[in-house]
Amino acid sequence: MTPLRWGQAALYLAILGAWELLPRAGVVPRLFVPPLSEALGALVTDRREYLGSLPTTFVEILVSYVIVCGGGILLGQLIGASPAARRMLLPMLRSAYAVPLVVLYPVMMVWFGLGSESKIAFASIYAFIPTLLTAVAGVTALSPALAETARAFGATRAQQILYVSLPASLPSIVAALQLGGALVIVGVIVAQMLGAADGLGYLITRHRTLLNSPGVYAGIVLVLGITGMHEILLRRLEQQVAAYRQS
Amino acid sequence: MTRPLVAIRGVTQRFGVDGAAGVTALEAIDLDIPDGQFVSVVGPSGCGKSTLLSLIAGLRTPSSGAVFCDGEPITAPMPRKVGVIFQEANLLPWLSAIDNVAFPLKLRRVPKAERLEAAARMLELTGLAGFETRLPHQLSGGMKQRVAIARGLVQNPAVLLMDEPFASLDEQTRMVLGDELLHIWSETRKTVLFVTHSLNEAVYLADRVVVLSARPGRVVDDVAVDLPRPRRFAMTSGERFGMLKDRIWQHIKHAERR
Repeated sequence: MTPLRWGQAALYLAILGAWELLPRAGVVPRLFVPPLSEALGALVTDRREYLGSLPTTFVEILVSYVIVCGGGILLGQLIGASPAARRMLLPMLRSAYAVPLVVLYPVMMVWFGLGSESKIAFASIYAFIPTLLTAVAGVTALSPALAETARAFGATRAQQILYVSLPASLPSIVAALQLGGALVIVGVIVAQMLGAADGLGYLITRHRTLLNSPGVYAGIVLVLGITGMHEILLRRLEQQVAAYRQS
Repeated sequence: MTRPLVAIRGVTQRFGVDGAAGVTALEAIDLDIPDGQFVSVVGPSGCGKSTLLSLIAGLRTPSSGAVFCDGEPITAPMPRKVGVIFQEANLLPWLSAIDNVAFPLKLRRVPKAERLEAAARMLELTGLAGFETRLPHQLSGGMKQRVAIARGLVQNPAVLLMDEPFASLDEQTRMVLGDELLHIWSETRKTVLFVTHSLNEAVYLADRVVVLSARPGRVVDDVAVDLPRPRRFAMTSGERFGMLKDRIWQHIKHAERR
């Protein structure tokens, strides 16, 4: 390991150690932050409940992920490729981005009920615009010089897209996946916390109303696990496409 | 006299702004370029030098007049007859040097083994043997431009268009690459059209220097460079070299002052 890695490991250990020791020492009230071991203990004791909440949560995240990244990236590519569409739609989309969309969640519940549909609807709307804007930014950053060069060497329109535009936009597609995925996870968990009958967010809220701090933190640890996994997967993917970056 | 390899006949290029009068970049250009000639094109900034090359490359069609290559009118890129080298190397960043050179052949669906063999030969010709697997970001500016030259040569086109290919390189690198270009040219006998801002480079490399006027670009002089070949660096300080350069400079000086 390099000194840098050692330093990072030490930092992580210090944070986890503080989480365990500060509540035990009474520096932080246990109701606010229970020791790490108590949170993990709650996770083990109530593992049935927590594991049971995961399928619903994962399904909601996956469906929203497909909607957001499929739709957002595709639409982003199309809008990004057309200057007229960019001029017409981007100002609108940017203003829409500024609206705190969480205010829409009660409406979603009225429309779609307490089940998964309202979570998927909310998470999709919540993550769609930023993902789309990231995809648009990636397309507009493409240098037209490469496509022009390919054309000079006889590339057809289809070959220009296949061999130049598509590979060149891979990094921005991965960036859009990264952002879209992170926001979808937030969207689903928040929606579950605000009103649901199942799911990880629902469990966190229920334990909170019971003032069961270890239970709340057990849920938080699981959410961290999900976002951490997503982050690691996307980093891998990012390294795979690093060579496609234009520099 | 034999038929010219590249013939430019009464070419005018206007860039309209939505049908309005717009800008005339080139006006009534007539040029005959015989097979195997090395022609430099110089002129004041914005005189349409690059536009002229893009017309021969088939990247655009002239507003009026026509361009012929080997007797055939150019209406679209003809990559097998005309190779292009731009100011920036414009390499695909995710392809290795050899794959970049082989790219024009891939577009034509040449079998992989065959196109890699051709690309390897071109990399050797441009002094890049041993760098086949490097990615563009692992190469210096001069090396990238060598890859671009190899890519321009890989289909063995009769005509090589070079649009200020050394403009973004430092002085030493451009002198070395200039000499190597002459070496490649003497071995392959391509017809070269070389656009440049550097009068030294224009005279040193070429058989003939075509001087364009400020916009709208017209041919104001056509100078035969009667220096012996092979060219030597010492010639650049000779009297004849200075006279040729001075004659070209007189045209450009007036235009740039306006």
